[in-house]
Amino acid sequence: MIASLRTGLEATFKGVEVTDREDGMMFVLAPGESIPAVLRYLREHGLDHLALVSCVDWIEEGELEVVYLLTCYMRNNTDYGPEQRRHVLLRTKLPRESAELDSVIGIFENAEPHEREIHELYGVHFEGHPRLIPLFLERGYEIPPFRKDFDTRQYVEKTFGAIPPVED
Amino acid sequence: MAQISEIAGSGSGRELELYFGPQHLGMVGNFSITLKVEGDRVLKATANPGYLHRGFEKLMEYRTWIQNFPMVCRINVVEPDSMEMVYAMAVEKLAGIEVPERAQYIRSICLELARVSSHLFGLWAYSNMLGFDTPAQWAMYHRDLVLDLFEELTGGRVYHIYLWPGGVRRDFPKGFRDRIVHTLHSIGGWVPDYDATFFNNRLFYERARGVGQLSQEQAKALGATGPVLRATGMKFDIRKVEPYAAYDKVDWEVPTRQEGDAYSRIWVVRDELIESVHMVFKLLDAMPDGEVYNRIPNPFKWRIPPGEAYVRCESSRGELGLYLVSNGGDKPYRVHFRTPSYPHGLTILEKALEGASIADVGNTMISLYVVAPEIDR
Repeated sequence: MIASLRTGLEATFKGVEVTDREDGMMFVLAPGESIPAVLRYLREHGLDHLALVSCVDWIEEGELEVVYLLTCYMRNNTDYGPEQRRHVLLRTKLPRESAELDSVIGIFENAEPHEREIHELYGVHFEGHPRLIPLFLERGYEIPPFRKDFDTRQYVEKTFGAIPPVED
Repeated sequence: MAQISEIAGSGSGRELELYFGPQHLGMVGNFSITLKVEGDRVLKATANPGYLHRGFEKLMEYRTWIQNFPMVCRINVVEPDSMEMVYAMAVEKLAGIEVPERAQYIRSICLELARVSSHLFGLWAYSNMLGFDTPAQWAMYHRDLVLDLFEELTGGRVYHIYLWPGGVRRDFPKGFRDRIVHTLHSIGGWVPDYDATFFNNRLFYERARGVGQLSQEQAKALGATGPVLRATGMKFDIRKVEPYAAYDKVDWEVPTRQEGDAYSRIWVVRDELIESVHMVFKLLDAMPDGEVYNRIPNPFKWRIPPGEAYVRCESSRGELGLYLVSNGGDKPYRVHFRTPSYPHGLTILEKALEGASIADVGNTMISLYVVAPEIDR
């Protein structure tokens, strides 16, 4: 099944690279524009649980990597065989300056807060997201605060450093 | 005080915006919901997290692999052990460290004790919110007995920093096994009283039946796990389907219910609590002798080869995952926790509150087992 998923993905989508790892994890690298289609394909082939959407800032390569982690729920409430025991990590690489992706809320509804979070903390724009407003933070930031070039210490000194120490 | 502002209409048909914030009496935890209401019916709910956003995931990128342990446990205040477990598992996977068998058993026992204490805390929150003060106080007292065990074992009551890459920090002290058995027996002896005052109480049934009901399709589509999913009939438990630690070494059952409402969720929690107590007894009986710790390299110079891992375990609230990336350095390159309260408190809560009555807002939220620090991280 895992082998057929691999050949199916490679046959259906152009520019998709699939690698397997011994521990049952499958890595799929896809171009940004085919992410919704690949996700829909994976969902139709049994990977019905979007566990996590994450983002990694590879500053030296100048890329933001958006990661979708997919696993399976049980079949018929009780079956969980080797076919379900697989994790698929779908990723795409975007340029840091103009990171844009299509929203996948139509496919996995629970991606909504994840996309909001990544937009807020990494500055990735999700086209078609109904409310791309900040999730956690109140202040505005010059650069999205989870990017590698955002210096937490410097920010704290600049923002809160002017407060004089409490004297006893 | 809740803030109310008028937004549309007039008389009894007008729409109001109600800020159901952290100071509101019906709210447990640092979390708020903006409710659009008409009469006492909720038209639309918007969850506002962020009161506890401490940026742990970013701060962890500045600290060495071992220095991060005091930080991971603070992500979920109520059940810190599963946080330590999932971080230790990810580091072990990236660095290729083996764990001795006795340590696997001790880990499972600790995680189950943590589940007992977390479920008791959840019971306190839920029964207290419904006005059942007596069982709530019992639950708080019994949780404290479990915390006493943790204090003896690790030195800390709430945060333990005991599960460690390569095993656990130290073996059980002398006579500790008997004290676990004694504590769990005395908590188990109270189950008939809990049942009589709370679980079989008609008032609990009336207040919780049908509240925040989810079908299994909805729960799956919205990413539910843990008791929220098991209350819709699916036997999905990561301890069972992808066993870690020593969960495949003993026999145990996954409790489920069918209805998917607050009533069945709290019953799943009760059944799990009892199952956990039984499981600890079985684990204690089957526990082998031996080492509890495999040496790790000098923590100050420890570099972990480049790679990435997604590991997951079953916390008391559902699937707790960790996506960990290393670039070969002495610190993590990226840490991202998949916490169970994240989908429960944001997507599912907003969905479940549509059309609910204002009196059921706190009821729904606590029955979804949301713990706010987990959402914010």
